[in-house]
Amino acid sequence: MTTTIPASTAAPTAAAPAEPAHDRRSERLLVWLFLVPTVGGLALFTLLPIAASFVLAFFRWDIITSPEWAGLHNFGDIASDVTVRRAFLNTIGFVIVAVALQLGIALWLAILVQSRLPSWLQSVFRSAFFFPLVLSAASVSLVMAYLFNADFGLVNSILNAVGIPDVQWLSTGSGAVAVVIFVYVWQSFGFSLLLFLGGLASIPTEVYEAAELDGAKGWSRFTKITLPLISPTLLVATVMAVIAALQIFDQPWVLTRGGPGDSTRTAVMMIYQSGFQELQFGRASAIGLVLTALILAATAAQFRLSRRYVFYQ
Amino acid sequence: MTARRPHVGTLVVLAVATVLTLGPVVWTLVRAVTPEGQGFSFSAFGDVFDQIDMVRLTLNSALVTGLIVLGQMFTAALAGYVFARLEFRGRGLLFGLVLATMMVPLQVTIVPVFMLIRGMGLSDTLLALILPAVPTAFGTFLMRQYFMTLPPELGEAASIDGAGPFRTFWSVYAPLAAPGLAVVGILAFNYHWNEFFRPLIFSISEENYTLPLGLVTLQGNLGSGSVSTVLAGVVLSMIPAVVVFVFGQRRLREGLTAGIGK
Amino acid sequence: MADMSRRGFLLAAGAGVAGTVAAWPRLTAADVPGRGEDALRVAIMGTAQDAEGRKTIVAEFERRFPGIKVRVQPIQAADWSQFFAKILTMVAAGTPPDVCYVATEGVQLFADRLGEPLDRFVTRDKAVMQEYFSDVHPSLVEAAMYEGSLFQTPIDFNAANVYYNAAAYRRAGLERPADDWSTDDFLAAARKVQQADRSIRPFFWTNRLWGGIVPWLYINDTSFLTESKAPGGRWMWDTFYADDPSSAQRGGGYRWLHSNAQDPRVLESFELLRQMVADGLASSPAQGGGNELVGLFSGGRIAMTPAGGFWAQGLHDGGMKPTDFDVAYFPRWRSQRHQYGAAGNMILKTSKRKDEAWEWVKFNLSQEAMQLALPKPTTTPARRSMVNAAFYAETGPQHWQVFYDTLDRFPTSGPIPAPPQQAAVETALIKNVTAAVTGDPKKALASLDRDLTTALKT
Repeated sequence: MTTTIPASTAAPTAAAPAEPAHDRRSERLLVWLFLVPTVGGLALFTLLPIAASFVLAFFRWDIITSPEWAGLHNFGDIASDVTVRRAFLNTIGFVIVAVALQLGIALWLAILVQSRLPSWLQSVFRSAFFFPLVLSAASVSLVMAYLFNADFGLVNSILNAVGIPDVQWLSTGSGAVAVVIFVYVWQSFGFSLLLFLGGLASIPTEVYEAAELDGAKGWSRFTKITLPLISPTLLVATVMAVIAALQIFDQPWVLTRGGPGDSTRTAVMMIYQSGFQELQFGRASAIGLVLTALILAATAAQFRLSRRYVFYQ
Repeated sequence: MTARRPHVGTLVVLAVATVLTLGPVVWTLVRAVTPEGQGFSFSAFGDVFDQIDMVRLTLNSALVTGLIVLGQMFTAALAGYVFARLEFRGRGLLFGLVLATMMVPLQVTIVPVFMLIRGMGLSDTLLALILPAVPTAFGTFLMRQYFMTLPPELGEAASIDGAGPFRTFWSVYAPLAAPGLAVVGILAFNYHWNEFFRPLIFSISEENYTLPLGLVTLQGNLGSGSVSTVLAGVVLSMIPAVVVFVFGQRRLREGLTAGIGK
Repeated sequence: MADMSRRGFLLAAGAGVAGTVAAWPRLTAADVPGRGEDALRVAIMGTAQDAEGRKTIVAEFERRFPGIKVRVQPIQAADWSQFFAKILTMVAAGTPPDVCYVATEGVQLFADRLGEPLDRFVTRDKAVMQEYFSDVHPSLVEAAMYEGSLFQTPIDFNAANVYYNAAAYRRAGLERPADDWSTDDFLAAARKVQQADRSIRPFFWTNRLWGGIVPWLYINDTSFLTESKAPGGRWMWDTFYADDPSSAQRGGGYRWLHSNAQDPRVLESFELLRQMVADGLASSPAQGGGNELVGLFSGGRIAMTPAGGFWAQGLHDGGMKPTDFDVAYFPRWRSQRHQYGAAGNMILKTSKRKDEAWEWVKFNLSQEAMQLALPKPTTTPARRSMVNAAFYAETGPQHWQVFYDTLDRFPTSGPIPAPPQQAAVETALIKNVTAAVTGDPKKALASLDRDLTTALKT
């Protein structure tokens, strides 16, 4: 039996040679039975569709008439289509800004929450920051659309009260992008915060005490101790945040439908538009493939970077 | 950490962040009970029930979310256990493959999945939302991490006592799985209760709408809906999620920390 | 603890299985009435309540045609393009309806790939159809034609008129606008409203295909797409509209083949709106998202907005009395051409019961069925005879005649420009309008031109 357990996992002790044969058989049966729902399900609903995407992407198909071989046409089409290009650039830009904000805010607040606060206050803040996560992005966006309404929204009323004139939030490109990022980060930072709190809690107090004796305080304490020690958590949080952000759809869909112009159009929105509004299923599949490639590349890049910067205890 | 006197700056930052975070929620609650041109009134909630079939929407959301949650907990526990505790040929490869599917979210393969659903004769049904969401790579990963934190000696002891692999799982590990399962369940609940994109495509008939989709239709044709009604709908749809939040927050925090926080 | 966990595990598994079994009809949608049933399926935009509202029509129809069962399927959508997306999804899912209630926005989109031409049915049932057409303005029929054939039978329509808040007008010392008021009169009125009350938005508009920028283009005698007419259609005009003075100019339906965004007059129209937005006379149109037009208008926070007959009931429900508001024509610029959109039934090509579908379509055009379908002024009936004082008695507006007279007075009024590539064209327009009125209009129109060219190519 070849052992392929990663070194970091605690391996069960080597199988006793005296193990009865029927046990080994029933163990194999158990492996089989237990894995089928998950592995079979993922094969059917994830791997097969990916394979199908590869096929569909080479056809022109509106589902009413029969599919037509299109070669690389769909890919050429999306490469030359300014709207699609813009949607992908938006998505990438969005991921960079939103994830940076999400992680930065979450880490900062996590450190503050974890600092010298009475524990009841800690749990108040923790609950508050985590709360937006339980709401649906669609309903949050409905609410935010009212708040950011340029003519009658609360945000502009508040700004007016302190002497700032109306901001055209949803009807200018930069305003709409800002609102979408705000709404997304508002809702997502709580999850990262939760992960960071866990990571911070696992840093032994003695480490900080020792550091304090060495004179490490404030920023240097953060960069020299906190950051390296929670870097594994940071990696997980980053990978998860990036994958989630690359799929952004709900917020811009409800808030702006991708506008004004193409300023908040995203990759997933292009899949929806091409597929289910314009019945161009080949093109939609091609866009889906490009997005998948993007997710794979981003994740691979993060793991590669992590080899250099992530510090395992 | 000892609770020394908190820094004023820290408190200010946290307080501002709390106001920004909860402000929109509070505003929603206030506006929902103070409809335009009226004082305090619950009339907007009545309007919600007049305009959309809240009972059906809630039932649909509960069914979809409930079965996905149970399905994910069940399948993830089994697969996570196998990956954590049993040796077999190709385990690393298979686990790697499972993890890799985490990078292919349902949204990007929505077109072929739609075709698959059509081929299965499940177009415009709730099962179309449930089935593809049950197999979970992330849940499996979490459960594997969780089972690995349990001491292997437990299983060995059972084995020595003559328990077969099924018995070992059932009588030793399954009873200890609850904290891990809670995390998988809460995360699945949170995600699928609030899901918008897949229902937008898969649920065609109003009868098969889920809550987030129904709420957006409250905006009305050409935006003719009333703000308070929409907000009242948002408040109503929040309730189950808030309940899960109140009871699950601690579990989730601890479970996540144990699972991936390390 | 251990035992509890395990019991919980079993309980959960049991609950899952029991829930699945108990809810099986719900999970597979087998409990949806009429699902899988052998019935004529009619898709309408609306809620279950809207479907309920048609129950009397269905009952009456089924009484007359005992062999045909009808199932009205309501499709909820925020706007027509969402509705079309849902219908296309139904087609993609392999469950297309037989008949679909479609607005002008979707006539060519459906006609091009999915619609069944109604010409043979119309000529076959000439007598019945003559009665219908004699009561319906030819402009509405022309908008329902595509490449010489009729694809849709209009049941209701809405032209973009101007609604104004009577109180806001009174406060500003304004009289009801003249029927031929000009854009200058319009601007003067807006300024007076603004001076009288700074908290009121004189003109509020929404960025969409109907009632957005297009009316301003039409009154400037232009459009963002080139407009021509398809040949053919004489069979319709010579048979049913021989006496109509406009009959000779009618064709086989509209053609919107190319972008016209670079036309200087288009720029001129955008400049006008841009100036109005810059001066605070008009709102800057946000797209998507929530707005509460009825609430804002009935709450007196908006003085004027483009709307059609469909608004009468909405404002009434919003608490406005018939004298609180009124309706006027859109102002005149180079012309006073209005924009309108009509809606009615289409038969889908994929239907296996086209004859039965036609019976349903035809029945819905009868005086009787239309009375049942439109009990309240939630839209403007396509039948002239139904647009009468009694219809608007409860809701207002006082000048309800404006709704239908728009078509008679301005017979060249044009439908919503909606070629078969409607979805892409609408997206292109909507997404560039805001930039054009708030930013650099030349740049935005160049971008609109480019987007439209791409959209119309496919």
